[in-house]
Amino acid sequence: MSGILDAIIKIITWPPLWQLVVLGLLIPLGVVVFILWFERKTAARVQRRIGPYHVSPKIAGGLQLIADLMRYMFQEVIIPKTVDKFPFIVAPLAALILSIVPVVAIPFTSIEAYFPIDMSYSLIISLALLTLSPLFIILSGWASNNKFSVIGGMREAYLITAYELVAVLAFLSAGAITGSFNLVDIVEAQSGVKWFIILNPLAFAAAFIGVLLSTSGFPFEIAESEHEVVAGAFTEYSGLVYGMNMGAAYLKRMIFSIMIAVVFLGGWQPYTPGEGFIAGYLVPSIVILIKATVLMMIFSFFRAVYGRYRLDQALDIAWKILFPLAVLGFGLGLLEAYLGII
Amino acid sequence: MPAKPVSKQVPSRGGIFSKFKGNIEAIAIGVKFFFNPQRFTLIYPKEYIKLKEGYRGFIVLRKDKCINCGSCARICPAAAMRLIRLPFTDPKTGKTRMKLWPVINYNRCIFCGYCVDVCPTEALYHVPYHDVVYETMDVMDLDLEEFQKEPEWDAEKLGLPVKYVVDEKMGLVKVRIKEEGEKQ
Repeated sequence: MSGILDAIIKIITWPPLWQLVVLGLLIPLGVVVFILWFERKTAARVQRRIGPYHVSPKIAGGLQLIADLMRYMFQEVIIPKTVDKFPFIVAPLAALILSIVPVVAIPFTSIEAYFPIDMSYSLIISLALLTLSPLFIILSGWASNNKFSVIGGMREAYLITAYELVAVLAFLSAGAITGSFNLVDIVEAQSGVKWFIILNPLAFAAAFIGVLLSTSGFPFEIAESEHEVVAGAFTEYSGLVYGMNMGAAYLKRMIFSIMIAVVFLGGWQPYTPGEGFIAGYLVPSIVILIKATVLMMIFSFFRAVYGRYRLDQALDIAWKILFPLAVLGFGLGLLEAYLGII
Repeated sequence: MPAKPVSKQVPSRGGIFSKFKGNIEAIAIGVKFFFNPQRFTLIYPKEYIKLKEGYRGFIVLRKDKCINCGSCARICPAAAMRLIRLPFTDPKTGKTRMKLWPVINYNRCIFCGYCVDVCPTEALYHVPYHDVVYETMDVMDLDLEEFQKEPEWDAEKLGLPVKYVVDEKMGLVKVRIKEEGEKQ
């Protein structure tokens, strides 16, 4: 009996499976549910309202999100006659999966036994995987055969040109400082208080705003803006598939937050991974997830403050301010590497 | 002659630094409200707005003051007030006569208050609330007995009275009204 139990534990804690399912899907889903509640509550606080309240007044409307989820689950999934059925169904699934796959290339500890894949080019691999999912959003808009969907997809396509270069350059500046694409080396280089948010705030700012742009965070919620294009590329979706579409953006933001926590906020520092599964894998991943959750809370706070930029304004900001900022951050990283600060 | 197309450009306001400053200010205001929320949502059944005297709410008849003139029914622009013929025994002489009494139909009433204004003996008056619920439309057509009672006000039983005052800094602010006997 104990043999079977050991085998099950061994399978569950096998690093690729553990990282993809638990750290990539289950915990981020829980965080996303919390963040959705937090976002609504924060927006309400700042805008002098109350927010979700009547479902469970004692825990400040915390069960409202569960109620919403139930509603999505039991809603009928309607597939219109005019859509291209195969991409219509596959595209949101692919976007969701590609949003969480990059977590495999992110190290949650410095011990080699707990790496799901070889980490020597992990920065490049995770960035490359993260930039794939918007293509499927465009595809779902195209497959919907609806003018709002197509316009939403095209807006997403415009935004890709705006944020992709910025976010990638900003993340690569960490590689410029350390001279390595290995995320473990990047985290180890940030020992003490040498976090890259302090050493290279320009790149951090560019990465932060780039992530907001890429996950339709609030000042840049352009591709799905309700007042202009109904729900953007997701106009024709309903039920659980629509919920999946909306969840995919938040999951992607969570993975991006984990990336920022690893690259700019020192990863598992100040904790040093010890021996065994708990001290060597579980605790450092919890440290990273807490940092990522705090980042998510800051992202969702912006919803309360900002309105929405127009598409041209967003592109303007991205090309005229963020791109030079990212280049400057990259240069700053190179300068720091030259001066030997690390 | 068709209008000439003119290309207009919106002049950009300020440089990068003023935009940066504006963003920082906006976030600072957001943080201030996040830690010190000044909510003014009315949580309705638990709170209700206490309206002032003279508010044109539901209408009640004082039967002993009514002189059966019928002015209220005549002036009613929505034809909500109508007169019904009922026997009335004069307490002085002891004779029974048929008289016309006003009754109101809240399906039609627009709460304009003309009937209250026109009444020569002030037999009609407003109650300062309007949030009364009737179960069916038939019940909203009151008879003479119902018309003499003040309608049941559930919000007063369930909730606390509040009022909105205009604050110079905050705009509208919700203030709880202290009830009589309660400490100020």
